[in-house]
Amino acid sequence: MTAGDRPPTLVPADFPTNRGGLCSKGWSAPELLDHPERLTRPLVRADPADRSSPLVESTWEVALDRVIAAIRRTQAEHGADAVGCFGGGGLTNEQAYQFGKFARVALRTSAIDYNGRFCMSSAAGAAIRAFGLDRGMPFPLSDIAAADVVVLVGSNPADTMPPAMQHFDAGRERGAEHIVIDPRRTNTAKNATLHVQPLPATDLALANGLLHIALAEGLVDEDYVAARTTGFADVRAGVAGYWPDRVERLTGVPVEQQRRIVFALARGQRSIILTARGAEQHRSGTDTAQAWINLALALGLPGREGSGWATVTGQGNGQGGREHGQKADQLPGYRKITDPAARAHVAAVWGIDPDDLPGPGKSAFELLDALGTDGGVRTLLVMASNVAVSAPDSRRVLSRLRDLDFLAVSDFFLSETAELADVVLPSAMWAEEEGTMTNLEGRVIRRRKALDPPVGVRDDLQLLAELAGRLGVGEKFSADPQTVFAELGRASAGGAADYSGITYPRLDAEQGLFWPVPSADHPGTPRLFTDRFATPDGRARFWRVEHVPAHEQPDAEHPYVLTTGRVLAQYQSGTQTRRSRSLQLMAPTPRAELHPDLARTLGITQDDVVELSTRRGRARFHAQVTDAIRPDVVFAPFHWGGGSSANALTDPALDPTSRMPAFKVCAVAVRRVGGPEERIPPPESATQPRPEAHQRPQAPAPHPPSRRRTTGVKSTPRFLNGVYPIIGEGLGKPGPLDPALRYQVPQGKTAQALYFRGGNSTGELVYLLLLRDGVPMRWFPIGAKADCHVPLRVVEDLDGGTVVELHAAAPVGVTGEVVVDLGLVEV
Amino acid sequence: MTAVLGGRSEGVSTLHFAMDDADGIDTRQRLVVIGNGMAGARVVEELLERGGGEQFAITVFGEEPHGNYNRIMLSHVLAGEEHEDDIVLNSHDWYADNGVQLRAGVRVERVDTHAKVVHAVDGTATSYDQLVIATGSRSFIPPMSGLYRDDEQLIPGVYGFRTIDDTRAMLEAAAEHEKAVVVGGGLLGLEAARALQGHGLQVEVVHAGTHLMNQQLDPDGGAILKQSVESLGIVVHLATRTTEVIGPDRVRGVVLADGRAIDADMLVIAAGIRPVTEVALLSGIEVERGVVVDDQLRTDDPDVYAVGECAQHRGEVYGLVAPVWEQARVLADLLTGTDPDAEYHGSRTATKLKVAGVDVATMGVNRPERDTDEFLVISEPRRGVHLSVVVRDDKLIGATLLGDTRKVAFLTQAFDRGTPLPQERIKLLVDLSDGAEEVGVAELPGDSQVCNCNGVSKQTIVDTVKDGATSLGACMDKTRAGKGCGSCKSLVKQIVEWAADGAVTEDESANWYVPGIPLAKPELMAAIREQGLLSVSAVFAALAPGGVEEAKSKMGLTSLLRMIWGSDFVQENDAKFINDRVHGNIQRDGTFSVVPQIKGGVTTPAQLRTIADVAEKYEVPMVKITGGQRIDLLGVRKEDLPAMWDDLGMPSGYAYGKSFRTVKTCVGSDFCRFGLGDSTQLGIDLETRFQGIESPAKMKLAVVGCPRNCAEAYVKDVGVVAVGNGKWEVYVGGAAGATIRKGDLLATVDSPEAVIELSGRFMQYYRENANWLERTYDFVPRVGLEKIKQVLLEDSEGIVAELDENMQQSIDAYTDPWGQDAKAPATPGQFRTALPLVDLPNVPVR
Repeated sequence: MTAGDRPPTLVPADFPTNRGGLCSKGWSAPELLDHPERLTRPLVRADPADRSSPLVESTWEVALDRVIAAIRRTQAEHGADAVGCFGGGGLTNEQAYQFGKFARVALRTSAIDYNGRFCMSSAAGAAIRAFGLDRGMPFPLSDIAAADVVVLVGSNPADTMPPAMQHFDAGRERGAEHIVIDPRRTNTAKNATLHVQPLPATDLALANGLLHIALAEGLVDEDYVAARTTGFADVRAGVAGYWPDRVERLTGVPVEQQRRIVFALARGQRSIILTARGAEQHRSGTDTAQAWINLALALGLPGREGSGWATVTGQGNGQGGREHGQKADQLPGYRKITDPAARAHVAAVWGIDPDDLPGPGKSAFELLDALGTDGGVRTLLVMASNVAVSAPDSRRVLSRLRDLDFLAVSDFFLSETAELADVVLPSAMWAEEEGTMTNLEGRVIRRRKALDPPVGVRDDLQLLAELAGRLGVGEKFSADPQTVFAELGRASAGGAADYSGITYPRLDAEQGLFWPVPSADHPGTPRLFTDRFATPDGRARFWRVEHVPAHEQPDAEHPYVLTTGRVLAQYQSGTQTRRSRSLQLMAPTPRAELHPDLARTLGITQDDVVELSTRRGRARFHAQVTDAIRPDVVFAPFHWGGGSSANALTDPALDPTSRMPAFKVCAVAVRRVGGPEERIPPPESATQPRPEAHQRPQAPAPHPPSRRRTTGVKSTPRFLNGVYPIIGEGLGKPGPLDPALRYQVPQGKTAQALYFRGGNSTGELVYLLLLRDGVPMRWFPIGAKADCHVPLRVVEDLDGGTVVELHAAAPVGVTGEVVVDLGLVEV
Repeated sequence: MTAVLGGRSEGVSTLHFAMDDADGIDTRQRLVVIGNGMAGARVVEELLERGGGEQFAITVFGEEPHGNYNRIMLSHVLAGEEHEDDIVLNSHDWYADNGVQLRAGVRVERVDTHAKVVHAVDGTATSYDQLVIATGSRSFIPPMSGLYRDDEQLIPGVYGFRTIDDTRAMLEAAAEHEKAVVVGGGLLGLEAARALQGHGLQVEVVHAGTHLMNQQLDPDGGAILKQSVESLGIVVHLATRTTEVIGPDRVRGVVLADGRAIDADMLVIAAGIRPVTEVALLSGIEVERGVVVDDQLRTDDPDVYAVGECAQHRGEVYGLVAPVWEQARVLADLLTGTDPDAEYHGSRTATKLKVAGVDVATMGVNRPERDTDEFLVISEPRRGVHLSVVVRDDKLIGATLLGDTRKVAFLTQAFDRGTPLPQERIKLLVDLSDGAEEVGVAELPGDSQVCNCNGVSKQTIVDTVKDGATSLGACMDKTRAGKGCGSCKSLVKQIVEWAADGAVTEDESANWYVPGIPLAKPELMAAIREQGLLSVSAVFAALAPGGVEEAKSKMGLTSLLRMIWGSDFVQENDAKFINDRVHGNIQRDGTFSVVPQIKGGVTTPAQLRTIADVAEKYEVPMVKITGGQRIDLLGVRKEDLPAMWDDLGMPSGYAYGKSFRTVKTCVGSDFCRFGLGDSTQLGIDLETRFQGIESPAKMKLAVVGCPRNCAEAYVKDVGVVAVGNGKWEVYVGGAAGATIRKGDLLATVDSPEAVIELSGRFMQYYRENANWLERTYDFVPRVGLEKIKQVLLEDSEGIVAELDENMQQSIDAYTDPWGQDAKAPATPGQFRTALPLVDLPNVPVR
């Protein structure tokens, strides 16, 4: 980027990560700096009390007054936590750090989270669980080029990160085997050695299945497992349930292909497994990433030079954005907000009492879902994020944003979220601000200011410092990036992501630095885990994980599976890229991908307008009929809002660990709306389902038994007994002896027969007969002048209403007396 | 036999610290699960997954003492493909770690549903709030006389096939027995039959149905399966029952309903399974075929549930794991309140197995049921392939794949999920995704990648052919296509043929004996004889193009010349493997091994004493009995070799080199109770006669005195088996190394002399016709057993006399290399240390 006057020009710099390469989004980015729609003055509602009144240009003074007034009012009425902050992975490290500090120190609210929750949180959760540390790529990106085998799970760098493809291409030219696991034959998959197309949300089962094969085939690196890991025995038993044929049925990946993947990984001298959003954006995303880590560990990959597991971070500063306190549960340096030592350290840097630091807050979707509700956020500050488009179940999120008392948005365009705001603050763009970013490799790099922002535009660092000043804590907030970075270094010192040895001059001199850099003379850490993992005992953790079917299963009403993702020429919610003229030419309209077999069944042809509907909403797209997708899966890109919002469809079922929504799978119905049209008409609003109301999370209650078990049995004894005359009518003809020898079990009670005793005074054999409801059950013969005692073992209960009777029989002509005693208990 | 699968090292019992019966402390509901199999344990897993551990105090009763293991893998365990430890799903530790009380080895007798108490056979009473019955099923034993002893136990030799203990018992029995009858020609029966056959048993299957696997296959499919099964050597009896077991002390055979009797010493019963419902019956719970449950898996008692193979849902009793696990999931959703309305609506059943070596996958129906159903069948009985699909309303409702299951992944998913189907239904059965092979090579676009490993497109191959590389080999060399994983080789071949338009040239070098000389073996031998080429260098000079010596060809030529010329051969040491140069087997650290000749594996105390003395004198780090019944002195320095040979005073045992190696023998008839012939002496005689004979690749022999095959003669290059009455069988082309192949029976002869003659003839034929380094197990199938028989037994080519003569010449030329070279090295450097010797291996004390 040339510094100085506008219009700006772009000249790529040779850098080890992208080797000078840029994708179309990079090349076209300067177009946006002077875009006619660029916001250059703050906007406020014409009528402050009416959000339906138009947004009008105003001054910083008025706009900030309104923001501060809203914060004060809300906190006075509803408490500190009723003001919330929502950040983004596009902020610089300094801004992200400052935003987290602003929330905790200036607002003293626990309510802060960011859009990275929708992106990296599952991989981060798994990495922390397994390795004790989350640096997306624990090795330099250039290792990809040297790997013999690379398995990409739900990752499509050819479209989402084209400059990185140079490393992949270099590897393939060397003869490396690249295996892509994706329900779509993406551009990455097309060039791979092997492409397998599992059903969305079955990557965990696939990984477990591969480990099963590795075990059965003796491919596990037992020495490594013994020396560098713990917990393998449990995982070994866990994957015993994932035999290849079962995995084939769950995933649709043929056994042959499963075997090929495992053998390739095991045989490669250098093997790398990469997961990305396709595997991670699920309600079991953390466990899915863990399953692939388990496989990598079993094969002895992590920590071996040139091998390992990594996740491909999505946003520009997705890595740095999650390290410095934007997350609801974290403090700078990747510290846990619940850890007393971490709180004490950060509080000391910030000059506050640790007890004044708020605790953990709600995760991104939970925060948004509770907007405007009791206990939820009522005044929200949004920075570098377009949640109205990027959050799952976006119609619900839109409705929640409208429920807010006050919304302030900082952005450089009027995004879908900004359109709803009370106050919109114009912010500087990438080329107009100083700062640092941490890229997907964990390399901290400089972002240099090439131009001044347009007159009247401030960068977010200045904005936060100004707001803090108005809230009375201005002395704790600087607007100078280098000062903030130095403070960030101190705050992160000793933490997992330790930046304390990094300075701007070092970054300039050393082509960036891989964290951790714990001291000024530390060279940085390009490769992690070579000697030990970041766990207390230095060993990586295996963790048994189980396949969980997608939260929403297709049914008759919604018979297909929807998955969402990116296309080459667009980025995130499209706030920037949809405004770029050159990109607009490449991907002008949102296109839903359908298999020809599915299209034919539904009477859809290429370019038709189709409507996708789920239980949450409807959205329309142009049809892209392609056999690159499974016939039971539909793909929709998520860069558009309004009537083509893919996230109006998505399922916000959350991962229990990472709170990641299930962006990548839900049940969908497809309908042809009409033939090709230049502008896609939005779905009729009357047909849209009502957004679901906010529900406070409740622990499920176990199913109650219909009857409590009775601990002490309170029983009443019953006896059918007495001495009765008997007149023989033949042994074949038993008859009732006496009405007293009849007992009906009362309703609501049960009875059990315990014993029979009897005596016979006659000189012949007689017998007593026990009947239940008139049906003979037991015969008790008593010999001549003899007695008997039969303990009746309780095998069944006599239910309420049952009639028990004793009859007797004797040979013809015999007369005498019998003594009878049948013992029962009534319960 | 008694090891507890997935057990704790201390024993069976599970440590249990849960707060127990004292009500009021533990407020959790009590959940008791009867049955610790695939269903019961799965319910517990699913409960724990949903946080059920905090809601319920869980007790699991299991009749078997083991943890939970994967029952469907038992056939793999029986076949020896999986170790029993690898089928453990939940060990005793797992239960303990998750706070679940496992009462393994305790059978439940009955349930008092009113008091809500479970009574177990050990006299305990365990009360519950919710009860899950998951008692599974047991083998159905069809009625037949003689099956039971007086004490109502099955007589020895009869096995069900249901539990790990059954499997262990069968494995043990398989090692001792020779003939097995399997009752039942369904999945399980055929799996058992194949597994037992793999253990060397002769197996016959008796099936009451009119075709095999009649539950899953239609008669046509069953017939093709029968053909495939029989081609494996398993005898199948259809439409008949086993009526009697011949005993009485143990199984000695069976009698079929049609009166035929079959000898057998094992009887495996796999005639189906029956739900185990005794507990439910005795407890007054409604039982029909299984324990009757509703859509919430509830029995007629509201607090008693049943899942798995013992449960009957909507009239269906499932015997497959997938439905059972679905039931477990629904029940866990329900019990934990995760989804209080969860319901189970039945499962689509699909199975996929390798049945007796044949791939079989079935799902849904196997025939059309309505007039509007679409039915597509591909039947290729000759290839053992039978494929069919049934489509209704554009949805797949059934498929049968026999012999070719490549499409099964797509079909099961389509069957499970109602995936839209291709309009051309044929694509359901022939490969869709891998279109490249289906599209004729002519239609294949030029830029389509043919070789994925090396990224070669069709156009590149075509261009290369046009540039003159008209043979497959040349084209592959130039483009590297097909040189990666090799999976595209046939496609590359097709493209080359298409591009060359009929002008494909043969790869002649494929037929050359060695790469450096463009002659096939017979022509090469003729030329050598004609021109009297006595040394390797002479052969190169006369026959190689431009007289160029080619290193890779030298060893093969040495071997060939030695065979042709015997003692007239002119030795040139650089034309031999290091092993042949120093007459020892080089080891990984550069030392050598010394194996003295011990003919037939028969030695004497004196020999042993000598060997012991030599081993001590030269500080031999390891003395080992080899797999070939010889004594191996390992870790000998090259320079010590001649002195050792001298001290040993024994000839070389030839445990190196491409030559006749050893003859393994069993104890023969002198001492063995079973011996039918004097195998030991015959082995010694064979070894004496053929010692040290050079050959294209090593030849390992064995002689056994009876078909028990103790010395593994069935898997040797030449194996001799005494079969009684003075008769001997001669097998050739067997192998039991990286390749395993049972030898082919060449002939049965009447005397040891005839064995020696025939073996010699075969070996000579092999020596003269096999390519360099081609073992007999490749040679025999390549030439064909019939051809070999004709040549050697009927003398169809009139060369038998010549073969005998040539062999005799080689035998006469034999000198013991140790005796020869020990006195004076053949070359000055023969025994000089050439390789930098690393430290001698530290052999651990064993």
